[in-house]
Amino acid sequence: MPRLTIEDLQKIKEKHKSDFTLREGGYRAKVTVHMGTCGIAAGARAVMTALMDEISKANVTDVIVTTSGCAGLCAREPLATVEIMNRPPVKYCDLSDEKIKEIFKEHILGGNPVEKYALVVGSETTY
Amino acid sequence: MEKFRANLMLCAGTGCVASGTKKVKDALIEEIKKRGLEEELKVVLTGCNGYCAEGPVMSVYPDEIFYQRLTVEEIPKLVEEHFLKGRPYQKLMFTEPEKKTAIPLMKEIPFFKHQVLRVLRNKGLIDPEKIEEYISRDGYQAEARALTQMTSEDIIKVVKDSGLRGRGGAGFPTGLKWEFASKVKSEVKFMLCNGDEGDPGAFMDRSVMEADPHSVIEGMVIGAKAIGAHKGYIYVRAEYPLAVKRLQLAIDQATEAGLLGKNILDTGFDFELEIYQGAGAFVCGEETALMRSLEGKRGMPRPRPPFPAHKGLWDKPSVLNNVETLAQISPIIINGSDWYRSLGTEKSTGTKVFALTGAINNVGLVEVPMGIPLKTIIYDIGGGPKKGKKIKGVQLGGPSGGCIPERLFDLPVTYEDIVATGAIVGSGGMVVMDDNTCMVGMAKFFLEFTADESCGKCTPCRVGTKILLDMLIDITEGKGKEGDIETLEDLGRDIIAASLCGLGQTAPNPILTTIRYFREEFESHIRDHWCKAGVCRALTTFWIDEKMCKGCGACLRGCPSKAIVGEKKKPHKIIQELCVRCRSCYEACKFKSIKIMPAKYEGEPSELVGAAEAVKEEA
Amino acid sequence: MAEAAKILVVDDEPVVIKSAERVLRAEGYDVEGALGGREAILKIEQNSYDLVFTDLKMPEVDGITLIRWIKKSNPSIGIVIITGYPSQDTIKEALELGIIDYVPKPFTPAVLVDVTKRAVEWTAGRKPEEKKITEEFPPAMAAELDRVINDYKIKPGCLIPVLQRAQEIVGYLPPIVQKRISKGLNIPQAEVHSVVSFYSFFTMKPRGDHNIRVCLGTACYVKGIETVLCKIRDTLKIDIGDTTENRRFSLEGVRCLGACGLAPVMVIDQDTYGAMTPKKALGIISRYDPAIAEAVLQETVEEEIVEKEG
Repeated sequence: MPRLTIEDLQKIKEKHKSDFTLREGGYRAKVTVHMGTCGIAAGARAVMTALMDEISKANVTDVIVTTSGCAGLCAREPLATVEIMNRPPVKYCDLSDEKIKEIFKEHILGGNPVEKYALVVGSETTY
Repeated sequence: MEKFRANLMLCAGTGCVASGTKKVKDALIEEIKKRGLEEELKVVLTGCNGYCAEGPVMSVYPDEIFYQRLTVEEIPKLVEEHFLKGRPYQKLMFTEPEKKTAIPLMKEIPFFKHQVLRVLRNKGLIDPEKIEEYISRDGYQAEARALTQMTSEDIIKVVKDSGLRGRGGAGFPTGLKWEFASKVKSEVKFMLCNGDEGDPGAFMDRSVMEADPHSVIEGMVIGAKAIGAHKGYIYVRAEYPLAVKRLQLAIDQATEAGLLGKNILDTGFDFELEIYQGAGAFVCGEETALMRSLEGKRGMPRPRPPFPAHKGLWDKPSVLNNVETLAQISPIIINGSDWYRSLGTEKSTGTKVFALTGAINNVGLVEVPMGIPLKTIIYDIGGGPKKGKKIKGVQLGGPSGGCIPERLFDLPVTYEDIVATGAIVGSGGMVVMDDNTCMVGMAKFFLEFTADESCGKCTPCRVGTKILLDMLIDITEGKGKEGDIETLEDLGRDIIAASLCGLGQTAPNPILTTIRYFREEFESHIRDHWCKAGVCRALTTFWIDEKMCKGCGACLRGCPSKAIVGEKKKPHKIIQELCVRCRSCYEACKFKSIKIMPAKYEGEPSELVGAAEAVKEEA
Repeated sequence: MAEAAKILVVDDEPVVIKSAERVLRAEGYDVEGALGGREAILKIEQNSYDLVFTDLKMPEVDGITLIRWIKKSNPSIGIVIITGYPSQDTIKEALELGIIDYVPKPFTPAVLVDVTKRAVEWTAGRKPEEKKITEEFPPAMAAELDRVINDYKIKPGCLIPVLQRAQEIVGYLPPIVQKRISKGLNIPQAEVHSVVSFYSFFTMKPRGDHNIRVCLGTACYVKGIETVLCKIRDTLKIDIGDTTENRRFSLEGVRCLGACGLAPVMVIDQDTYGAMTPKKALGIISRYDPAIAEAVLQETVEEEIVEKEG
């Protein structure tokens, strides 16, 4: 990355927003696997691998998978957040590779959240 | 930027416009005006939502409610219900086509409901290894403002006015610390970050460094500008490899982008940052000891004054802030001190992150406004005790803190209120204990810790903690004497008065608070040789109440020393000579037929059982 | 070593093997060549060698894989790497696997002879009592240590980082390592030792192949790490701070691993395991050592018998 100016900060922010906002013709769904020390110890890597496998098997290109830090609820790790265009994000807990495969088919491809594994829907209050 | 209570994102894609977005928009604006809400609500036209079949559609943020098939006729009702009465207008709300979703909302789950995220604002939302994601969440905006539009005095004033206090333990006002260092004249100064997080039971700093490393870096650059430092170190525990890796990556990215290093953002301001890995010594959490350790020496504290603001690292003026403190700086610069004070109490402003662990259902990292009662954190957010257990108390502040009993849980969590109980807020480790925890054992646990971690420089701490520990070991082994409790208290107070640094000055806290609130447990250990939690092996006898035993064999199978005998469906018996008092039978019994009795207990215990039950009921 | 040392040279370029053969045979060594990792494995299976010289970048089975395999199946063979790409990372990885030295390509006969001589001496010295803690360390380690010392020398307060890297390279900090650092950094040996003994991260005893770290933090205490620790101690027959006789495991107690959400926690090498029970902990440890797996199995069988009888 070249050296930034203050205007660049704003530009990066806007570009990033437009690139990664879920929309028609762009990404349709976003999956965030929470990978802090706790998550990794609880098996987040296996969940991530299983998900990537499913995505490549299904040959879909409109789903972004990203990692993020600790989600805070260590007792229920591994956690992942699934966001489908126009719907509030759903957090899943106590995941395993089998569960994420089911979530991939039902929720990410089918659009129906898998209630039995879901913890909560919506975003947290910041500020 | 103006702040609106809610943003109404009305879809203006081709599909929705065809279904009547324009009319709906006019009706909305008119209705909002009529109700006098134009300063609170903002209507935004967005691009296609992709949900054209049900148009016109609109999402309301931050509520995250999605409305569909809007009509001009329904608008007044919608505005009234949602924005005046505050309940989403069910009729037009989006529901799953097939079935109604039963997944609860954030505000329906107490774990999330009571939290407000400032430090953890990017928790789970950004990829910590990509600087663009941090920037997209207003990252480095505060740094840009601090370096271009603010003087050192401006920055210090905002931080001082915000009332932010050091989150590492002592709670010293951050702005004041910066002011002291800024007033000292010196060519070389250091801005340091304490990521040593030595308190067992606290892990918020690890989480922040792992999940949002740039927020720490940005806070440090702003602090460096405030005090006039051009060099900094982040001191991180060697036990946190992932945090080290992500911080290093973040430093490299920020340096490459010109947000760190030489001539930051072309403002002429230089600040270079390095990571320094600690080597495992609790005392290095103390600021003078940490600076010694940074110099490559044994991390031993030295008397203050001189304070680090005058003579710190390599005898140069230095400021040391904790990770959580630094992560709060950029939102304070952006939003101002009044915003920061809008949460918390007069003297304990803003939010605090707590690591909630131990005998509780929802173990995790939580951020709450200061002043919230302990009860809310432990019972609502933490989800209360495990099934069939009872919470006894909570340990706050690690080896420097104390145990607060359940009966004081109405207490608001502020620096002052917690100190009044004899504990400290500390770095925010909250370890919840239930009736499986022996409080004498707990005090012993912490003394083992401090006696081992005492650096040995001053006698009261080195020798005093050892004596305290030996006495506690005696008590847990049944060798306690009358008068021990008073001796512990006296000696504890002497150590506090005479020790050199924070480690010794707080080391007796765990003992003093447990004696203060759980004196009867010490007494029953000393007088009755009875550890009622069944933890101290020398002071426990496990005994099966034959009236309650169903002879299921669960205890027998789990016993590692094969000390339990009995035929199926007939009451079992423990052969005391073989029993190693490991508790496994006690945990295994589903009928509560295994009782915890005093040491060397034999024979028909009906009276004692009765008495024990009564004691339990009372508790 | 009375007989001539037997050396296997592994490289995908025949010319390298040829030239090594020519140089080393002239010195009286018994030299053979293999044109890749696979061929090398087959040869080692059939013959016994004292030393293996190997290239790192080879098609199919590469050098690192070969080294791993040798270390597992024939740990007494000394390994020297020949590489045209001495990047810090690969050298570091190879060092961690326990190679003796490396020869950068292209090499002169003198360098090759010199390295071979040292490597043969080193291997010979180690062979009779392999388990014994030697007071020496391989030349490659020494070179790496010196490189670290030189890199950090100019930085103020560099002693702790140097000790950390040194412990990564050698595995522990015996007096000989401390001495070298003291000399290199021009810090009195007493001061080096005082720092080593102050911080719990540093150890002066060699560690086992796998380092088990058990968290002794508050949350783990409340959640019963004590019983887990007891079980590990009993099974491995070592206390905290010790290493098993077969050098397979060392056991360490740490203050807090900062993963309290998963309490009780244990870390083996780099992997964190949460929500431990005595049984689960043993199950995990047995993955690192088949002998323990058998012991655990035995115990389970006994339990089942008891259950049936009951």
